[in-house]
Amino acid sequence: MQIKSEIAGSVWKVIAQEGAELAAEDVIVILESMKMEIPITAPKAGVCEKLHVREGEMIGEGQLVATLKL
Amino acid sequence: MTWDKEIDEIQARRKLAKQQGGKAAVDKHHQKGRLTIRERIDTLLDKNSFDEIGEGAGVPEYDAGGKLTDFQPANFILGFGQIDGRKVIVGGEDFTVRGGSPNPAGLRKSVYTERLALKYKVPLIRLHEGGGGSVGGTGNDKARRPLGDPVFSESRFVPLAETLSSIPVATAALGPVAGLPAARLVASHFSVMTPNAAVLIAGPQVVKRATGHDMTKEELGGPQVHLASGAIDNLAEDEADAMRQISRFLSYVPDNAWSFPKAITPTDKIDRCEDALASIVPTSRRQPFQMRKIIEMVMDQDAQGSSFFEMSRNYGPSLITGLARLNGESVGVIGNDCMYYAGAMTATAAQKMRRFVDFCNSFHLPIISFVDEPGFMIGPDSEAAGTIRHGTAAISAVLQSRVPWACVQVLKAFGVAAQAHFGPDAYMLNWPSAASGALPVEGGVAVAFGREIAAAEDPAAKQKELEDMLAATQSPFPRAEGLSVHELIDPRETRPKLIQWLQLALNARTETPTPYLTGMRP
Repeated sequence: MQIKSEIAGSVWKVIAQEGAELAAEDVIVILESMKMEIPITAPKAGVCEKLHVREGEMIGEGQLVATLKL
Repeated sequence: MTWDKEIDEIQARRKLAKQQGGKAAVDKHHQKGRLTIRERIDTLLDKNSFDEIGEGAGVPEYDAGGKLTDFQPANFILGFGQIDGRKVIVGGEDFTVRGGSPNPAGLRKSVYTERLALKYKVPLIRLHEGGGGSVGGTGNDKARRPLGDPVFSESRFVPLAETLSSIPVATAALGPVAGLPAARLVASHFSVMTPNAAVLIAGPQVVKRATGHDMTKEELGGPQVHLASGAIDNLAEDEADAMRQISRFLSYVPDNAWSFPKAITPTDKIDRCEDALASIVPTSRRQPFQMRKIIEMVMDQDAQGSSFFEMSRNYGPSLITGLARLNGESVGVIGNDCMYYAGAMTATAAQKMRRFVDFCNSFHLPIISFVDEPGFMIGPDSEAAGTIRHGTAAISAVLQSRVPWACVQVLKAFGVAAQAHFGPDAYMLNWPSAASGALPVEGGVAVAFGREIAAAEDPAAKQKELEDMLAATQSPFPRAEGLSVHELIDPRETRPKLIQWLQLALNARTETPTPYLTGMRP
């Protein structure tokens, strides 16, 4: 399952690690957008297979953030 | 002599009409996981309440002796019925006949739908699946030159447009919907689509020839496109869910613009004060919060859950719009969602606001506004989208409102865009977290005091000092002291305060309800 960002912003913190098991609603990364910390969370439980962004990176709307294996 | 023969023929023809496109076409339709239009109507309406119009309309074939040999039913099914005991009119294309592309009788029934709805002033539901006209036209007599409508006939789009000011219109896309049916689909106050539906101006083959885009109909007009484009309001899990959403939408609105929405007997307590409201807004402005949870805690709840019914969630998502009950009364609800660009007003959020506010005014729904507006979205994309014009149109719609408004300022109200959250002569409540001004401190200080900050020994400390100083001026206490708001409240008091106000506001209405006609907007 592809987790995409619905907003543009910079990657403030990467919380999840590749290979980690995530529950639904677990935070994967936190973006900074419009001076606010916006979490991107796992919509369903799964394993964080791949992270596609690094801290400090600017990302756009619809950009792939992580791949989740359900 | 009796009329038995003719009566038998009526029965025979009714039977033929029910065959729709024939067994093979119906089976093929079911195999695609879709219901026929007659099954859809049965799912939507109260049992046995369908009262059909024009059941006998269709394309007949007669033998030389004038005996009926075949009958293709009109491929638009139309009639009255009831939802929860309330009269409605419902219509939809029959995809099993010519893929929903109109045959002559189907076209007549289809264009009659809106006139009937306007005449009897009952809510209208259209269940769409089908294409528009084909190059070959709608006639079945290939030998004759096609005839257009007479020059003196009224365009079918006149009643279509008039319905929006007069009666609630809810529509569904339940398969491919293209051309004229797609236009009819979006001429509605609420629209829903199923995961396997597609909404198209023109289908893949036409698009490929004209523009070179080689795309499937789902890629062109599937839910992922049209929930975000704003053409369609909500996604339904399946057809049954689409019917449930339409019924739910209709439960909040009156039969027509000449009547007020009906209240239901509330089961929730007036004085339900949720403790979580006191701490839901973080004291750090960098932390977001869930505006939907606030809305759900304040609005009525019953055994089924929250009375809040959200519409158009994926379009202009920095703004939340939906219908709810407050002590049993129907209200429109708006709120900012700070998870999207801090809740900033984008061009799409502004269009969503204008449309929703006009809808509430059309059907006499008081508006409850939960405010956390940082201002218009800024930057090159926002300028290119014409946000300022769409935003100013939204503000005009809000301030020309005729329905009662209550505004709960939860957090931010900054800039010009904040005006779109406060209707005329609104009941104004502020939470202790409320902050107002021309610009948010975080953005404004660095610009307004740029030179002063740069000249300081410790620029970061200077910026922080200035921000703290200005943040204090944005506090809600001076506004309460100056009666710039009606009340500064403990967030837990929001529900009882709003209910007391709503009862006063509804009792004070003296004008008879009439359609809402607006003037030119920016």
